[in-house]
Amino acid sequence: MTSNKSDSKHGRFQGHFAELLKVEGKLALREPTGLAMGIGFPIILLVVFGLIGKAVPGNVAGTGLTVLDIYVPIIMVIGFISLGISSLPVTLVRYREMGWLRRVSTTPTPPSRLLAAQLTLNLVFALVTILIVIFGSELVFGAALEVSIPYFVLSIVLSIAVIFSLGLVVAALAPSQTVASGLSGGLFFLLLLLSGLWIQPAIVGEPLATIMYYSPSGAPVRALLYSVFNATPPLTAIVTMLVYAPIFTFIAIRYFRWE
Amino acid sequence: MPPRLKVGEAVKLFASFYPNPMDPDGLLETLGIEKVKNSTYRRLSGGQKQRLSIALALVGNPKIAILDELTTGLDPEARRETWALIESARDRGVTVILVTHFMDEAERLCDRLALINHGKLVVLDAPEAIAAHAGGSRVRFVPSKPVDDKTLYAIPGVKEIERKVAYVTVIGTGDLAASVIDSLARIGVHVSDIEARGGNLDDAFVKLTRDDTSRVQERLQS
Repeated sequence: MTSNKSDSKHGRFQGHFAELLKVEGKLALREPTGLAMGIGFPIILLVVFGLIGKAVPGNVAGTGLTVLDIYVPIIMVIGFISLGISSLPVTLVRYREMGWLRRVSTTPTPPSRLLAAQLTLNLVFALVTILIVIFGSELVFGAALEVSIPYFVLSIVLSIAVIFSLGLVVAALAPSQTVASGLSGGLFFLLLLLSGLWIQPAIVGEPLATIMYYSPSGAPVRALLYSVFNATPPLTAIVTMLVYAPIFTFIAIRYFRWE
Repeated sequence: MPPRLKVGEAVKLFASFYPNPMDPDGLLETLGIEKVKNSTYRRLSGGQKQRLSIALALVGNPKIAILDELTTGLDPEARRETWALIESARDRGVTVILVTHFMDEAERLCDRLALINHGKLVVLDAPEAIAAHAGGSRVRFVPSKPVDDKTLYAIPGVKEIERKVAYVTVIGTGDLAASVIDSLARIGVHVSDIEARGGNLDDAFVKLTRDDTSRVQERLQS
């Protein structure tokens, strides 16, 4: 290591960010509610729909897809919702409420680094969920996915951007942990409904089908469904996400309070 | 603080935030909390929590540390330990600005003391100087026979008199004990059980804030 100034500054940044990430990771393991929701819940859903898919083989409503095939994108998006809507904002509001963000802000390290560490950690968890769902459905339950890597990566990035930024809106607007829990709980079930966990847009009819297609959880499911079967995602799904993500991000940044 | 964060982790984390931090382990040892290094924050006692916040304030090697109401709510032993820490920080060359309502704390720890009343600086000086100037010294004794107030007020330096059972306490300035003994001996009164002490900050605090408040009231009335 040279004693070059920018070099040492860079090293310092990595030092404290690595330390923050390590500490946040340990805390997440000590209080594993978020992990259980973000990774455990998708695993349970995968097993349930994997078994249903084996019991009811074949073709759902003439689409050529099995029950599990249809649920692969839904389960992934539910994983993102659990992490981004249930876990992330409640943790951040709790940190704000207990003065942790303020305490960090009294050091030369900006508290935004703490937020970045939380985001990074949840992104890692999301990645784990994606891998479990893809490989679990293929290797354990024999789903015949044909993942189109470019479309899949694009759909995943946009899905996570939409859902996590919506979670940050909750963190920004909720004045207390109680309100945050209530808001994220309500939003959680609404998004689960719109993702198609209980009802499929293809069979509910209008106007609910359209609402689902253009919702912050339905659009990601639609884009992902096409990209795991080697098809081009519908432009409307991509555009919908491209509209949501910056709007949510803007609101979250505009209204976020550190204290 | 996150309730499940461990003491050692917190100090190490904060050390990573600063360019030239102190050695986290050494600091924990100085603060006497190396035993609870692996305890989570929620398991700490009030005194340990307080010492951890001091650790987090000092780990960055600051030139100045502002500590606010540090010992409020601590038991006497934890208070004493906290005082020792502040003294050790001071001895290492850290300028400590301590905000407190406890006069004994200020008297023991501070080199210079500012008294602020209703947002206004009333006095700024060494604690001993403030105490001596504003509180006056007190001499308590038992006279061999009753002495009336008039005689006592005639003694040079005496400003106030308090009586409790057989004890007489005079408050005033100058070499009070010597003049009390001298003057009373001259009229044939001997004093026993004598106890003299310099002015203390408690007295000074009351006197200075009362003066200040009454001055404000006067100004309001005029």
